[in-house]
Amino acid sequence: MANNDKMETMLYNAAMGLGLAEEMRTNPDIFVLGQGVASGGWFGAEKGLADEFGSDRVVDCGICEAFEVGMAAGASVVGMTPVINLGFADFSLIAGDEIYHKLGKWRYMHGLNVPMSAVIILPVGVMGGAGPEHSNSIEVLGMHFPGLKVVVPSNAADAKGLMKAALREPNPVLYHSIQTLSFTRGEVPLDSDYIVEIGKGIVRRPGRDATLLTYGSMVNRSLEAATTLANEGIEVEIIDLRSLVPLDWELILESVNRTHRALVVHEANKTAGPGAEIAAQIQERAFYELETPILRVAGKDVPLPQQNDLEQACIPSVDEIVAAGRHIMSL
Amino acid sequence: MPIDTTLIGDMYRRMSIARAIEQIVEKHTRKARISGWWHPGEGQEAVGVGASAALNGEDYLWYQGRGCAWAIGKGMQPGPILGDVLGKVSGATGGKGGGVPHWADYSLGIMGEGATLGSVYPLAAGSAFASKLRKDGRVSLANFGDGTASRGTFHETMVHAATWKLPLIYLCENNELLVGTKLTDVCPTADIADFAKGYGIPGIIVDGQDAVAVYEATLEAAARARAGEGPTLIEAKTTRVQGHYAGDPQNYRAKDALANYRDPLAVLAERMAVDEVETIAAEALALVQAAYEETLAAPPPDHSIIFKDLYYGQ
Ligand SMILES: Cc1ncc(C[n+]2csc(CCOP(=O)(O)OP(=O)(O)O)c2C)c(N)n1
Repeated sequence: MANNDKMETMLYNAAMGLGLAEEMRTNPDIFVLGQGVASGGWFGAEKGLADEFGSDRVVDCGICEAFEVGMAAGASVVGMTPVINLGFADFSLIAGDEIYHKLGKWRYMHGLNVPMSAVIILPVGVMGGAGPEHSNSIEVLGMHFPGLKVVVPSNAADAKGLMKAALREPNPVLYHSIQTLSFTRGEVPLDSDYIVEIGKGIVRRPGRDATLLTYGSMVNRSLEAATTLANEGIEVEIIDLRSLVPLDWELILESVNRTHRALVVHEANKTAGPGAEIAAQIQERAFYELETPILRVAGKDVPLPQQNDLEQACIPSVDEIVAAGRHIMSL
Repeated sequence: MPIDTTLIGDMYRRMSIARAIEQIVEKHTRKARISGWWHPGEGQEAVGVGASAALNGEDYLWYQGRGCAWAIGKGMQPGPILGDVLGKVSGATGGKGGGVPHWADYSLGIMGEGATLGSVYPLAAGSAFASKLRKDGRVSLANFGDGTASRGTFHETMVHAATWKLPLIYLCENNELLVGTKLTDVCPTADIADFAKGYGIPGIIVDGQDAVAVYEATLEAAARARAGEGPTLIEAKTTRVQGHYAGDPQNYRAKDALANYRDPLAVLAERMAVDEVETIAAEALALVQAAYEETLAAPPPDHSIIFKDLYYGQ
């Protein structure tokens, strides 16, 4: 069924699981470990995997995030491709040493250039009342620490395509699924070779006036904002970065050099968030192309409240993105 | 069954090499700086060498970085070890490493060290898990100090390794010290092997000054692991002769701390003929001296190594 151009509408998390299942069929070195994965996963991504691949390869564990990622690092050094789902990116802080020192540095510090494949699923972002310890968008950590790749699928098709790319990648990948998209549906290619290349962004909506760089949960809000702005005659180009490590600088600079204006939109906290790095690099690489300062629309620098209305008040709304679009054109 | 005399000679040779490296590094650090700290392993050589002798070449070793007896025991030559200590291209890491070692050689089953102590427990479980899936008959060994038995990863890992009966050995070197803190000031038991009870696995205490005792205990644990019977915790009671790091004034230590110390080389020599002992010791010294001179002559790494190995193929 390799070259199959059929599409199917499915849940974002199911698409992630489909990518995983397809790769497990052809690569016996892949195994899945996590809390509840043997019974389909907390959020359904691992549904059916244990039935198909057995309890040797789809393994439940207790509450032990450091163990989960540490054992993934050890298994990957000896040639396995472990997939760990921590359920919430927030818990990755418990496995900080294992993610950033072991997965990210083991090859480097021992000077042995072996492939180290591992996919750590770290769902990020608000999901409606999950509170300050279950809602963080901390994908910037994977940008700060060297040695890892970081992907952020913004729709079901990418959830599949990036999962498959991550499983074929000889470097550890932090796969940040987006909590709020988990149960949204999208069209997904059934082609078992459908891959979204790591390090390649995509223009979701072309525009001549300003470049809006975003990813994950903010792609849809940015597209909505762009429609409103278009009614006012402002044409914003929306780039979905899809990977944060490496960033697609060719795509970013081609766009910014054409529009001469850039905004970065993300749910993560503003201070020292991914937008800070992206903005800094744009001005380093294309300062004389810019007509205006680079703007950031980002999460507020506060712990995320559990109350739904307050939670939403902490992350960029469509209105805020629209306002930023108007503002950048007025500068 | 009496232990093979060739094996005893071989263990004595490896322990002598490790000891000679200790002495040469110690001497070197008195007149010149090295990158990082050397953590002397003098007095503890029987543990790494004895345990490694019980492992097969392809078994996985994840060690903690005191001394170099584990690396020598598992087959690394003095050159790559000294190369890293002195920051030369001849080092196992090409000279990136230093006093906190990151020697690895996957062809020898030497998988490396995690200098955030306690980080190798889950890594060793990872390779053990791989072996269980692949049914390759390999054993994984996680080495650690008594002070590192208090890490949460010790528990997280063994809970799962014991449940899944992974082919894993925990091997603790109990020298009763973590830096200058006495183990019993920070641990409810003086015997780390006690922890095994909670996991329902064997907890074995051995004389860490006797390479043969360590060898035999490890051989048995490895056989259990290979038979699918799960992990074993071995605690080797040993003595740290030098300071925590080379140059440590050790103000925290009693004057008579070494009153009962038994040199593991002397303990093993009791099982050997005198002339064999002398020949092996002299050969080890000459080997290490030659490696040291070669290391001194080797160049430091080019700065381009800074970006090497960050990503695969880079
Ligand atoms: C996670 C972590 N905490 C602290 C240290 C600092 N440190 C280095 S060696 C050491 C003592 C370790 O004691 P033990 O495990 O008993 O081994 P020993 O030094 O006796 O060989 C400490 C605390 C470290 N390297 N990693």
